Amino acid sequence: MNELMGARELCGRPVVTLGGDAVAQLRDTVFDGPAGRVTGFTLSGRGLLAGPLRKSLPWAAVHALGRDAVMIRGQEVLVEPSAVVARKEAAHGQVLGARVLTDAGTEIGVVLDVVVEGGRSGRVVGFRINARQSLVMGSRRRRRKVFVPRGETLAVSGRALVVPADAVRFVADDLAGFAARVEAFRARGGAAPDGLEKGPSA
Amino acid sequence: MTSYAQARGLPVVTLGDAREIGELTSLALDAVAGRLTHVLVSGRGRKETAVAWDALHAVGPDAVLVEPDFRPESVPPGPRHEALGSRVLSEDGAEHGAVQDLVFDPSTGRIETVVTTLGEVRGDRLLGLGDFALVVRAD
Repeated sequence: MNELMGARELCGRPVVTLGGDAVAQLRDTVFDGPAGRVTGFTLSGRGLLAGPLRKSLPWAAVHALGRDAVMIRGQEVLVEPSAVVARKEAAHGQVLGARVLTDAGTEIGVVLDVVVEGGRSGRVVGFRINARQSLVMGSRRRRRKVFVPRGETLAVSGRALVVPADAVRFVADDLAGFAARVEAFRARGGAAPDGLEKGPSA
Repeated sequence: MTSYAQARGLPVVTLGDAREIGELTSLALDAVAGRLTHVLVSGRGRKETAVAWDALHAVGPDAVLVEPDFRPESVPPGPRHEALGSRVLSEDGAEHGAVQDLVFDPSTGRIETVVTTLGEVRGDRLLGLGDFALVVRAD
């Protein structure tokens, strides 16, 4: 698996062409919640005082999302903001701060950040959540920030999102450890992912 | 093989009349082609001029010799061509230090190796050089 990153830390990352020119920096990450992937990014100009840029970056045009920069083939791949932003309100705006429920009906916490896979996949692999005590047995602290993987299907509706109940057995304390937990979660045997037949209710 | 660090500061001399036209200040890189295209020369009190690689007779340890009929050009405009000190980015978006030196074939200008603060990168991995970074193919 490629390096994992929190979407919030992507803000300000430079957008660089394969020709070596920095043409923008990331402003906001836009998600397709139900599909569990990054739709694209809104952009701002380079530099501290730069305002929003009237261009956006659709995921299809990303050459690679890297630790230090987002690489694109050339400036011509940037598009009108409407192509990416249309979904912004529907997805990103409601993921942060949303309650996380298991499909067994337990609330396990509140979303602090969305974890995406770097490289070319653009997949949302999980969430950083402020976990409730029930999730962290034996912990003396009331709340704790942990990473929890998402299910195969991701139901995001209103102010809540639903993950499989067994996802809570695959939480991690940091991003470095999270990659292995996500792999283990995906490789867990047997049952088909919950909610696959039913699908998220509209 | 010669390196940028060795070539910088060498006197640039014409082959025919041994006239010193100045001192080598920098080398222009075409990263897409993977080769150096010009030698930039500054003489005393004169503007920096460029000598195309084809017009070079030899890049030696102590001097750069140019063909007698060379035509000084103005410094190549447009895309950035100075690689030294530039940040190095791989095409997967990870930084790999900064360019310290370029090792090149003096007869063709072809880049053999880019020496970075974090190690060496083969010259055939260069993808582009811009205002932000020298971009190299992932290995």
